[in-house]
Amino acid sequence: MKVAAHIAVALAQAGLLVLLGPLVTGFVQKLKARLQCRQGADLWQPYRDLWKLLRKGTVQSDTASPFFQVVPVLALAATVVSATMMPVLWAPTDIVPVPLGDAILLLALLALARFVTAIGAFDAGGAFGGMGASREMTVGLLVEPALMMVVFSIAVVGGTTDLGDIAARRSTLAALSWQAPDLLALFALLVLIPAEAGRIPVDNPDTHLELTMLHEGMLLEHSGPGLACLALATHTRQLIVINLVAALFLPVGMAHGMSPVELAVALAAFAAKTLVLATFLGVVESSYAKLRFFRVPQFLGLGLLCAFLSLALRIL
Amino acid sequence: MADSTLTLESEIRLRLAGRAGFEHGPGPHDLTVRLAHATDVPAAVAELGAAGLTLAMLVATDEEATAERDLKVRYIFEPGVGTTLPRPDTFVTLVAALDPAHPQLPSIAANVPAANWHEREAQDLFGIVFTDHPEPNSLVLHDGWPRGLYPLRKRFDARQRPVVEPAEEFPHLRVEGEGVLEVPVGPIHAGIIEPGHFRFSTVGERILHLDPRLFYTHRGLEKRVEGLTAGDAFYVVERICGVCSVAHGLGFCEATEQIAGVEVPSRARAIRTLALELERLYNHVGDLGNIAAGASYHYGTSAGARMKEALQQLNERLTGNRFLRGLVTPGGVRLDLTSELVQSIEGVLAATAEGLENLMNRIENAPSVLDRLDTTGILARQDAINLGVTGVAARASGVDRDARRDHPHAAYADAAGPRVAVVTETDGDVHARLTLRVAEARESLRLIRALLSGLPSGALCAAVPGVLPPWGIGLRAIESPRGAAVHWLRADGAGRIDRYHLRSASYANWPAVPLAAQTAIIPDFPLVNKSFELCYSCTDR
Repeated sequence: MKVAAHIAVALAQAGLLVLLGPLVTGFVQKLKARLQCRQGADLWQPYRDLWKLLRKGTVQSDTASPFFQVVPVLALAATVVSATMMPVLWAPTDIVPVPLGDAILLLALLALARFVTAIGAFDAGGAFGGMGASREMTVGLLVEPALMMVVFSIAVVGGTTDLGDIAARRSTLAALSWQAPDLLALFALLVLIPAEAGRIPVDNPDTHLELTMLHEGMLLEHSGPGLACLALATHTRQLIVINLVAALFLPVGMAHGMSPVELAVALAAFAAKTLVLATFLGVVESSYAKLRFFRVPQFLGLGLLCAFLSLALRIL
Repeated sequence: MADSTLTLESEIRLRLAGRAGFEHGPGPHDLTVRLAHATDVPAAVAELGAAGLTLAMLVATDEEATAERDLKVRYIFEPGVGTTLPRPDTFVTLVAALDPAHPQLPSIAANVPAANWHEREAQDLFGIVFTDHPEPNSLVLHDGWPRGLYPLRKRFDARQRPVVEPAEEFPHLRVEGEGVLEVPVGPIHAGIIEPGHFRFSTVGERILHLDPRLFYTHRGLEKRVEGLTAGDAFYVVERICGVCSVAHGLGFCEATEQIAGVEVPSRARAIRTLALELERLYNHVGDLGNIAAGASYHYGTSAGARMKEALQQLNERLTGNRFLRGLVTPGGVRLDLTSELVQSIEGVLAATAEGLENLMNRIENAPSVLDRLDTTGILARQDAINLGVTGVAARASGVDRDARRDHPHAAYADAAGPRVAVVTETDGDVHARLTLRVAEARESLRLIRALLSGLPSGALCAAVPGVLPPWGIGLRAIESPRGAAVHWLRADGAGRIDRYHLRSASYANWPAVPLAAQTAIIPDFPLVNKSFELCYSCTDR
């Protein structure tokens, strides 16, 4: 297939993730509200919030440098670019002519977005930003290597870190070929995704208690369109992480060609997988309290350990 | 008069013989001790402490315009935790007279930590100098208030707008050392809550020290009621804060009735008690939700909010006000309980009882929640005693105090009225304060049902004279949802309000929050704070 077609598909898939990110957040919020016996806002509320923020003015701390203004754009850009690495509907079976789907690059870009947001939080000079940033980096320190190991554990089988390639190979064998390392890696990923999505038991996206914040603490000094960019980055990141689980472990139903039937099936599969994993996030968030911060390393350590064992078993 | 009261009184007379004059008052079981020399205060306070008394509050008055031409400081004591139960229902007032030109007193705060804030407040509002105070920073008045301008002195005209002077930043303890970071929080917060500034000194996530600054909502309400009739002042007092409206309104009414010598009809006493317990119930149930919010346990947050809402809607059906305002009035109550209302109370109580057990069941079976609550924000029993902590915070640390039992009033004092079973916990952590609230909510449910089943018939209100007997003093303690609130009220020569002072439960408990916070990490502070659930408005007044 032509290079241009590949790029167009990657961009279309990234666009899909960016556009649907807020809807997934809306779904999780609605599910949580129902589990708490509340009506809750409707599914489209995150879009309304983004639209509202985009029309607002910006207030900036006197101590912030010009770099602070660039932070939201950089964080969103890194996230959107990482979304292009992700096979969503379409996993090509032929040799990919351009390196458009590398898992290492994807994780690095997500880490870059986190790093830029944290630097921006320090730059604003507020106490909560620094606190949130230092906590977020502590969490990142534990989550990022574990995610790498999970990806490597799967990548070793196919001999490629190209997510599209991995998805294409695994989809033919599907769940029948699962071995112990796959189960361990999946478990590790399920432990890690709430942390990566900034959700309970590691972080609480709904809180207004500044002293407890992780990710939200970093966003406190941002306002208006900048905050909208960061919020959109958060929504997109959550959907990317959800899709990472689907691409690595449940790559069923993905389209290999361009026929409408294949794409329709892929879209339905994507919706179903996203729904299941978003439900997982919502149910976890409604069932548990947030961990005491010093317990977070223990919890994430569990994910790290499983990821490590999975990789070790695979190599040995 | 009870034997124990007589024993206590004779012991006090013996200990302070030759240094003071004694008289009964303001209540029939109360004792007033007039010190001959203000310099004797520390010695006298030590003697009263040795007799088993604990400081409830300190009231300063400006009596320059009276025949005595002085400032007075009254130290109000009550029987402490060390005394045997049942404690004598008595207040002991130690009176020290000061020269208005040089108002000066030796500080007792070093030995009686509970006096710390009271002395600083008198220093700010009356200009009384407490020598050798361990922490003489201003408390009520913030940076920029003109020096030498004392708002509660009679010559201060409250209508004036003083010009703010340039001032230094909030004076607080500076912690030094490698890696120590100061975190300023508030007074404006991300959530919609009352204003308070918290200056944390931290190393990493550990809290080394916390300096709170309150009194952002100081509205000068004690000054405002001076010169009003008791009937008018009542409306101000009832609105000092929202969530203790019944307790504060009732305390003021009882102080007024004590001065006027009015006997409140028994049906009114029962309805007042019912309102107090309904107020406690909606506060405690709401606080469960708040504590769950502090732990980020969403189900608990919603369940607490839902039950509180049902109770507040009941409040509105009963009184037309979600905070039960307008029910209590000097002399009795304004509204009666019809059989329809009794039915709707019973319905809501049944739903609340079920919801409460359901929520507690879930919390006690959720290890992730319990892990947040256990050993978080421990308040040691001795610290609670030293600081004069009251209410849930005291009882959760094993301090057995409850004004409903120790200073019985309304239906609690009636022979046919329900008896309060006081519950205590020993751990002093967030979990203890949570379980204690649940136990007290259950007790409130029991008390309300008992009151409803034995509601006496009769009049709702006794007549209270518009003009109070001149110079009469009223002193009452009411167990509000947050603990004992002590009201001190005096009429002037014309029978209007000369001075009113409220020591709310939150005022007594705030100094304990930094101590409990020192055992926690920064992200757990909101949880610790919510487990105390103190009010800013009735602290700041």
